[in-house]
Amino acid sequence: MSLFRFSLDQKVINIAGTKIGGQPGEFPTVLCGTIFYQGHKIVEDHDRGFFDEALAGKLVSNQAELSEQTGCPAVLHLYARTMAAFERYLDFADRSWEGPLILDSADPVVRAGMAGLISEVGLADRAIYNSISIGTTEQEAVALEESELDSAIVLAYNPSDSSVDGCMKLLQTGGSVMDKGLTDLCMDLGIVNMLLDPGVMPLGSGAGSALRFSVVAKAKLGWPAGSGIHNAVSAWPWLKGRSTLEKRCCDAAAAAMQQLAGGDFLLYGPIDDADIIFPVAAMADVMIAEAVKDLDIWPVAGHPINRLV
Amino acid sequence: MMDQSSGPGTGFDAYKWPPLRGDYVVCDPEGRVAVVTLASHLCPRGAAIYGPCKTENLGVEKVVANIISNSNIRFLLICGQESKGHLPGDALAALHRNGIDQAGKIIGSKGAIPFIENISAEAISRFQGQVEVVDRAGLEDLAEIDRIVLELSLGKEPYPQPPFMVAKRRQRREAVFVMGGDVVLGSGVVLDSGAWMVAEERAQAAKEGV
Repeated sequence: MSLFRFSLDQKVINIAGTKIGGQPGEFPTVLCGTIFYQGHKIVEDHDRGFFDEALAGKLVSNQAELSEQTGCPAVLHLYARTMAAFERYLDFADRSWEGPLILDSADPVVRAGMAGLISEVGLADRAIYNSISIGTTEQEAVALEESELDSAIVLAYNPSDSSVDGCMKLLQTGGSVMDKGLTDLCMDLGIVNMLLDPGVMPLGSGAGSALRFSVVAKAKLGWPAGSGIHNAVSAWPWLKGRSTLEKRCCDAAAAAMQQLAGGDFLLYGPIDDADIIFPVAAMADVMIAEAVKDLDIWPVAGHPINRLV
Repeated sequence: MMDQSSGPGTGFDAYKWPPLRGDYVVCDPEGRVAVVTLASHLCPRGAAIYGPCKTENLGVEKVVANIISNSNIRFLLICGQESKGHLPGDALAALHRNGIDQAGKIIGSKGAIPFIENISAEAISRFQGQVEVVDRAGLEDLAEIDRIVLELSLGKEPYPQPPFMVAKRRQRREAVFVMGGDVVLGSGVVLDSGAWMVAEERAQAAKEGV
């Protein structure tokens, strides 16, 4: 459905030279592959952060090469269970990747530590904090305020009203569960670059609303929007018994659907899937750019339409 | 969602239980013990149903809905490793102990977003009354888990109330009015993203008397 332009001016944020946002068809979709995630086979010890560096290096360089070939910018999404692990992962990332980094952990204490460490080592301007949400703890808020981080994914999941309207209320006013909107909270914490993510539900529990969210959020707020739409696929019990080929087809299709719904970025899941995601995302970007040509939207120089066709 | 208690005398249909799909294994619908293995992959013996639970909101809701729809279940054993940050085991225990506040937040839960949206206070009350929670979060010793399940299985009679079904209710949509297009689709067609309504610009202008 991304065959349109928004009447509201669309914000374009720049993180380490990577531009995210704009009108559909203007900038290529930014693709974020996760490394060191729970269950990633290259990790030998998730607590201490021991991993196969050669394999990790191959995955990172493969994503970078695909980005270079297609024109879809890449982001390295670092997941760490502990701070000890994060220190090792960050050291590796700094040596093997020059683009933007997403900092992610399920543990809020670790996330707070990440905010501090990334500032200490001088890489905050390359980092995107994942995420600011209703679950952001006081400790995280203090760490963010004291850090040099200025970019974050804003998770709009509203547990008291998971509809698109509920997500928008959480962003704008806090709804019934927060005193202020998440966007205001971000500003208070020094986050001036926001990437809006509705938090994708499992298929059957509302996954599809992520698609409508991206259109509504961009139309009303203008910030870049996207999602981890692959989570809907990976949480689909029926698909678990199917072949790898079928699963990968569904991952690729979900990615293109999010793009067609105005998504500016994709948290596409395991970096191991870069081979299937980059071509499909580039193809969707070309299709969208062609679709909005008559709406006076011009793709930027490095866009897939200017490289692949 | 709407809660519907089956009337007195309504039989339990083991073939239709559990009502909500999920990542679980049904062993014995007549059993007394449901086992939540949190983020661990464990296969305990003797349970009515077992499976993981990784989220402190939707995951917890599904566990509750599937338990209260079977009056045979009298115990919920929480074991396995907690899902970091989410803490669904803590959320289940807190929900059973304290219930929810007016905003739907599970009182006393330490998880990231411990909110209940899709099940009612009545369903939670039924959950609190029907089952006893045995909180052994962190326990992964399968022999010990099997021993606890066996011990609990001998403990109680079925809950003396019919199954409590949690069914989805279609919410009635309010009439939608297009206030103005904020997404331009071209060729004179606009989209009001709030109403998710596509309209022709000229028709809309005429309605507004322009």
